[in-house]
Amino acid sequence: MTPGRLCLGLAAVLLAVGQPGAWAARKADPDKLPSIRVQDLHYGDVLFHFWADEDSGLEALTRLEAYNHWQRMPHHAIDSQLLAAGLYLQLTMHNEAGERFQTLLGDNIPQPVRNKAWFYLGKIWYERGYYDRSEQALNRIQGALAPQLEAERMHLLVNVLMRQGRYDDAIARLKSWQGPADWMAYARFNLGVALVRAGRLPEADPILTAVGTLQSDSDELLTMRDKANLALGFAYLQADQARRARVPLERVRLDGPYSSRALLGDGWARAAEGDLRAALVPWLELHRRNLLDAAVQESYLAVPYAYGKLNAAAQAAEYYEAALQSFSSESDNLDAAVARIHDGHMLDDLLGDDKDMRYGWVWQLKTLPDAPQSRYLYSLLADNDFQEGLKNYRDLNFLQHGLLKWDDSMEAFAAMIDTRERAYAERLPRADALLATDAPTRLRAARAAVDSRLNAIETGDDVAALGTAEERAQWAQIAALEEQAAALPPGLERDTAVDKLRLIKGVLYWRLDSSFKERSYDQRRALRELDAALEELQNRWVRVQDARATVPTNTGEFAQRIADLAARIKAVRERLVDTAGQQNVYLQTVAAGELTAQKERLAAYAVQARYALADIYDRAADQTQSGPAPPSAPEPK
Amino acid sequence: MNTPSPNHLPLLLSLVLAALLPLAASAAAPPPANAPAPDQAAVAPAAAPAADAAGTRALDQQIQDLKKDVIDLNRDLFVLEEELLFPANTQVAVFVSMDVGDFFALDSISLKIDNREVANYLYTPRQVGALIKGGVQRLYVGNLKAGGHELVALFNGKGPNERYYRRGANLKFEKGVGAKYLELKITDHARAQQPEFEIKDWE
Amino acid sequence: MAVLAAASTLVCAAGTVSLVGHRAPDFALPAAVGSNVRLSEYRGQAVIISFWSSRCSVCAKQLTLLDRLYSTYRSSGLVVLAVSVDDEPLHAEEYARAHAASFALLLDTAKAVSRAYAIDSLPSTVLIDRGGIVRYWHGDDRADDRSYVTQIRALLDDVVAAP
Repeated sequence: MTPGRLCLGLAAVLLAVGQPGAWAARKADPDKLPSIRVQDLHYGDVLFHFWADEDSGLEALTRLEAYNHWQRMPHHAIDSQLLAAGLYLQLTMHNEAGERFQTLLGDNIPQPVRNKAWFYLGKIWYERGYYDRSEQALNRIQGALAPQLEAERMHLLVNVLMRQGRYDDAIARLKSWQGPADWMAYARFNLGVALVRAGRLPEADPILTAVGTLQSDSDELLTMRDKANLALGFAYLQADQARRARVPLERVRLDGPYSSRALLGDGWARAAEGDLRAALVPWLELHRRNLLDAAVQESYLAVPYAYGKLNAAAQAAEYYEAALQSFSSESDNLDAAVARIHDGHMLDDLLGDDKDMRYGWVWQLKTLPDAPQSRYLYSLLADNDFQEGLKNYRDLNFLQHGLLKWDDSMEAFAAMIDTRERAYAERLPRADALLATDAPTRLRAARAAVDSRLNAIETGDDVAALGTAEERAQWAQIAALEEQAAALPPGLERDTAVDKLRLIKGVLYWRLDSSFKERSYDQRRALRELDAALEELQNRWVRVQDARATVPTNTGEFAQRIADLAARIKAVRERLVDTAGQQNVYLQTVAAGELTAQKERLAAYAVQARYALADIYDRAADQTQSGPAPPSAPEPK
Repeated sequence: MNTPSPNHLPLLLSLVLAALLPLAASAAAPPPANAPAPDQAAVAPAAAPAADAAGTRALDQQIQDLKKDVIDLNRDLFVLEEELLFPANTQVAVFVSMDVGDFFALDSISLKIDNREVANYLYTPRQVGALIKGGVQRLYVGNLKAGGHELVALFNGKGPNERYYRRGANLKFEKGVGAKYLELKITDHARAQQPEFEIKDWE
Repeated sequence: MAVLAAASTLVCAAGTVSLVGHRAPDFALPAAVGSNVRLSEYRGQAVIISFWSSRCSVCAKQLTLLDRLYSTYRSSGLVVLAVSVDDEPLHAEEYARAHAASFALLLDTAKAVSRAYAIDSLPSTVLIDRGGIVRYWHGDDRADDRSYVTQIRALLDDVVAAP
């Protein structure tokens, strides 16, 4: 399965969660995935980014977690959990993914979801090497999964069994299995290999032959075809059936990745049949190829061996000597490469200053740079551990770069908060002082007092109360004079005074009375205007109070959060750099180890070559005891 | 998911080659006893790395923990940014969803709120595909005061006969306390063979 | 977000060369022919953005060179985007028809993208690596064929060529 198909597959199965009735399949188009019916807008947004963004799900996951935090996806609790688990898996975070899938195993979870969870858990266990746990998980699945997933499950199970050496079990499962067409080829290949491992070669033959003769345009399938032929060929070689070995071996593509091994094997097959001249054909072809290939290295010995068998001692000697030379210089190159690795330059050579930022486990390193020591790392790249390690290294770099974009933002946020704080620091004391006066209350009280006084005046017809200041003064004066007059002894003086006062008072009263209604009306209107102003004041007052109440706590809290996050960014960045460094060291160790192993292999071959060469010279010396001096044996190295 | 592991084959190969090499020795000289060993080491998949398995596992654990911390950090930053810039009581968000898409190939959308342009977004085929699959894009987030407002959306695209056309939709809405979500829905109206554009207010 | 946009504009305004080593600003533009194009969808591939105008005579030569490079390296993951800064999209479209290029010709009539990339001369060519980081910058057309090839191969193989 190609990586592209993986992503599509992952998406399809993750999102094909059946909440009964949650499907809104539109058209019966077999090519289209059924539409997801989204009930929460924000869940839809996560999906949008999952499908549209080219970052292996990082943005989608960030949003998923954020929206979860705000609880904005209440209708999609299980969906989002499943999607999150799948995204963590896609980002190579097996622990987290495993935990999330575990939570989807509860009783209240629909069976289809639980099945999926078991499936992915099985896969995670397999990849981490816990084969029995993987098997248990895969066997917990009840009923069938979607066809593609079901095929993958079978495939996983078979791999688990074979890793445990349980070939017969694997064979039993494979024999009875039918699946989608594109999986059948893999299934048959596995079956063939299992049969070989179980020592059932006659049964393996037709199956591996079928795979070994399949027609295809797909590079993947053609490679598998080569592997099947190679496996069959070597199985026959091992079973001492050389003639049978040749047929499949000669089907292996000359320009394919298994060509060298096939040529080697073909030569051995011919040699085993006794035809050494024929064996030389593939071996000489191999001999011309790059010495880095293990099969080629062996051909450096196989060719002179053949010549030796054909009694061409001189040629054999020549080839052995050439082999020793090549092994020696290659050994020196390996030393140089190991030294360079320990210098710490290896990854720079492999990855350059800046790496392929694609995140996730579907990434594969396809090309190598031209630096000399990188040639030795071909075999290393076939190593799963090394590939994973390399991917980790790149992932760490990718994440590091992703954090950079937040630096500018954090500065901006801090500035924003700072501005807010200063603005409020300036205005708050004034606002507080104003609020403390509680003007509306006082004003309302005053208004109420005025209102009740006015009521009393109107009810009591207290015309004097609404008089002008002058009039009130006069009224008071008259009242005072009235008292004085009343105090006089009875007589003409008193009567005259009282009459006069009565007249003046009458005039004044008349004036006051005729103005009373109007004045009363004016007062009422003024009061109404005051009411309007008071209401306006009250509204504003409430708004100021609200703003005052909410803002200060917000700002302080945000400032703290910003500071905390800035610190976290810094800390995480340091850990990323540090861990990338550790990963680098690990990779160097693995690489140096591999090269050293290669060097040891060359040394072992060199030993054999020297033995064989010495033997040839010995025999030559024996034959020409009295003849010219034998060619001097090469200096032992 | 993976293809049949390449580990099957090299293992096979190593066993075979191991058996082969002693045979290769010439008749006269005794075959070196330890010939098979280098072969196995050479062609066995992944010669055991010099780093010990426990150390590897620890580092792997460390990396996974670190990745988790980065994800958490990303989440917290996203949350902070939105709470700071678009607090809930003033937030307004506009989403876009699309039906099957037989009758309308979306090219761009422009949004105006209260007569002010707030978004103008170009869509690529990939994004349109994401919408058709059921994704709902959060096209715009902003702030609005409480009260009445108007949203006007203009949809540009290609109709069923490859003609470009533009459609509009508008909605008057009331912004109260709490976030306001509006959804621009592009649906196929099968009978009329025309797309329909409506704005849904998620009260 | 708004703040981010403002901040990144500040970064860009400081000068074109300062973009080297930083993430290439994302954008979406309509094409003279075909659908809209968004830069971030090409993450994982090496991208060349060439800013040109139908009135710049030297630009034609540049585009021809890029066309050649594109046909050689597209199968290895090279993407070429030619961004026209013509005011009038028709000019760009005419050019597109006259010089049938095999890569996308994009229309930046509002000049938003050329501003984001602080383009001050034409042709300007930006080379972006698979991770979306700007790696090389050519502010004129004097860069010869070979230096482009070296740089492109470096981007495709993820190895930095010696400066």
